[in-house]
Amino acid sequence: MFEMRGIDKQFDAVVALKKASLTIEPGKITALLGSNGSGKSTMVKVLAGLVNPNGGEVLMDGKPIQIRSGMDSRKYGIATAFQDLSLIPTMSVIDNILLGNEPMGSMGMVDRKKALREVNELLERFQIDCDPNDYVNTLMPSAQSMLEVAKAVKHKPRLLLLDEVTAALHHDEIDILFRVLRELREEGVAMVYVTHRMNEIFQICDSATIMRGGETVISAPVSELTLSDIVFYMTGKRPEVSDKNPTVEHHFSADAVPVLDVENLKISPKVKDISLKAYEGEIIGIGGLEGQGQSELIRAVLGEIQPENGTIRFLGKDRRFKAPADGVKSGIGFISGERNREAIFAERTISENIFAGNAAKGGLFSYLKASTVKNFARNAVEKYRIKIGELKNPANSLSGGNQQKLVVARWIAMGPKLLLLDDPTKGVDIHSRLEIHDILRQCAKDGMTVIMSASDTDELLAIADRIYVFYEGKVSGMLSGESKNAQRLVACMMGMTGKEEAVQK
Amino acid sequence: MQNNASTARMGFSSSLKHFVKASPARMALILAALLFLITVLINPNGLNPTAIGSIILMTTLLAISAAGQTMVLISGGIDFGVGSVMSAAAILTTYTMNGQNGHFVQVLVMALLMGAAIGAMNGICVVKIGLPPMIVTMAISNIVTRLQYVFTQGSPSGYASPLFVKSVTARIGGVIPFIVFYAMLIFPLVLFVINRTRFGKQMYMVGNNRVAARLTGVRVNRIVILTYVFSGLLSSFAGMLGAAYMNTARCQIFDDYAFTSLVAVIVGGTSFSGGIGTFGGTIAGALLMTVLSNALTTLALSQPLRNILNGVIVVLLLILYNRSKSVRQ
Repeated sequence: MFEMRGIDKQFDAVVALKKASLTIEPGKITALLGSNGSGKSTMVKVLAGLVNPNGGEVLMDGKPIQIRSGMDSRKYGIATAFQDLSLIPTMSVIDNILLGNEPMGSMGMVDRKKALREVNELLERFQIDCDPNDYVNTLMPSAQSMLEVAKAVKHKPRLLLLDEVTAALHHDEIDILFRVLRELREEGVAMVYVTHRMNEIFQICDSATIMRGGETVISAPVSELTLSDIVFYMTGKRPEVSDKNPTVEHHFSADAVPVLDVENLKISPKVKDISLKAYEGEIIGIGGLEGQGQSELIRAVLGEIQPENGTIRFLGKDRRFKAPADGVKSGIGFISGERNREAIFAERTISENIFAGNAAKGGLFSYLKASTVKNFARNAVEKYRIKIGELKNPANSLSGGNQQKLVVARWIAMGPKLLLLDDPTKGVDIHSRLEIHDILRQCAKDGMTVIMSASDTDELLAIADRIYVFYEGKVSGMLSGESKNAQRLVACMMGMTGKEEAVQK
Repeated sequence: MQNNASTARMGFSSSLKHFVKASPARMALILAALLFLITVLINPNGLNPTAIGSIILMTTLLAISAAGQTMVLISGGIDFGVGSVMSAAAILTTYTMNGQNGHFVQVLVMALLMGAAIGAMNGICVVKIGLPPMIVTMAISNIVTRLQYVFTQGSPSGYASPLFVKSVTARIGGVIPFIVFYAMLIFPLVLFVINRTRFGKQMYMVGNNRVAARLTGVRVNRIVILTYVFSGLLSSFAGMLGAAYMNTARCQIFDDYAFTSLVAVIVGGTSFSGGIGTFGGTIAGALLMTVLSNALTTLALSQPLRNILNGVIVVLLLILYNRSKSVRQ
């Protein structure tokens, strides 16, 4: 019924989609699968009218159509439920569901009675326990997720796009959702189901389209695929499941005190129960699909997020930093991959940007010589041979890769005990990426402890001494030595730990 | 060669705009000089020691009142309370001095305490309430203005002490007013705070990218509150000097300074959206605003017409200086 053919999309220099294709049939649930950066989200966004492709065509019933906006998408009978909810938190449940779709009564007024009846039926169907007049931001995250799907279903779509909608749902809610989805399938609605939960594919999906690096690798009925096949097509590696996890202490003497020791950390909703240890001079990688709690853990250690439960021991002492300023003061550095938003002072000079970490520490009103700033920046640049242009130019004169090196220089010049990096090489060119790796290795050799999350598996394998893999807010595996290989890594990323039999087939 | 050709092809207005953006402070100085020249050409009487002396005096007064505003804007806020704090400080000065010498230190301490308190109130409310600084500072400014009426029953009394008046308005060689000695004290202090302290660096960081500043370890709220405290301190000191200049005070006497100081800061190249700006630029901006007001006075226009013209020119200047960044997500 719907078909996407040869879809191309570039974001500046980054290629998101390369001749990608997808066929969607009525009364079928098609799983759209892929690892980080595979382009599956972009495909969904093309159908939802949020992204305009650079090439290729979208066909509906064999005729080419143009989806230029969310309005177009809706016009063709496409409705979308997003993972990062499209609900308006400060509006009521009923207003959210009816937004732009209000039933008309006499004289062009909204027919509130009819509206209320319809919404109540919908809430009933999804068994969402709330009053139509409740504000959305007062609902539980899981109820909000359900509401997101309900809202999409309310449009009576021909095609329903579901983007990781089960991420925040509990087991019984997933059962309810699946029941509704099966009913819709009976009614002939086509569905595209994006998920990283392998067991859900086998539970509910009829066929699967798997993407890797912006290309469609394979489309096949689910019945013809095994779990191992799916992971292979997603990552290019056969998963190797093992329930043997190497122990940390293996590498260090028993009385060595970890620089960072996190135990049973819980931060709703993303982090459920995470424990990890990092010793002096180690480079710890944090792997996993996007959004499995990596960012949250790193920010909790820094003091940006307050965890609900668990302990964080830094240099042997229990610490709960109230703000990043406390973490920085105690010897933690933080490098974010979200440069523009979280790291770069675009209008300020390169030397000021390098000095930023130092500027945040020490007496507010003590005398600061102009040469102090300049020399600090020059030393940082020279020590690690970072080539980043004239120090007096503004930071926004640099390319993304150089900006990231700038942020790296900022922190290594401070010599923190622990350096946290949250996907630092996102959108960074390969050359700068390798340079950053070299710098990190050198720092680790000098005794700095480095904890780095990365969405790129090759990068993790290349740089980390040990890798903790996160899956759904838990550590699904710790890899080191011989177990540190791509096969084990992808297995853990998909939640295939071998211990539990959550994934059948 | 190619470069020159392309520059030449660039339209006059765009190259002018480029020049202004390259160095707004320099541009403010050039505009001030041009404006002064035009004034003198139209009315040669305008070129006399008294006029020049009063331009220097008014520029200094405006620059001091705008110094704190510069800091607030650099860190991404805005302070509409400059005028009301100045007025309140002026009333406090004349009332306490009551025409008698010997109360200077007492007045100084009281005025600065008041300024710091109002500044802290502004800062804390901006940080804690989370409303736009424009609204918060306007509301508090309103309270300060009403308090002036409450405490004085609407008619402030007293005079600035003769010695204090002299220390501000007496002229060296009949031209340069003594207020420059206050400037020689305040300007370096402000320049030091902005350019030679970690506080100054953090101010720019907070204004340029608040999230990044926080994640880099800056205590953002503390910095924001301090900029408002500085603004309160400097405004109240400017109010004291203003009292000496006017000799007497009345309620809302310096309310104009709320807007004028803001324009001086913007014209001096400080960005409305924060992260960019210098105090040197603000001094140049203060000069430009003073020369503009002087020009309108010299032209002997009626008051309403003068205000209209002033408004039009300010709008034109702000258009020329429009450096607003696109809003970040």
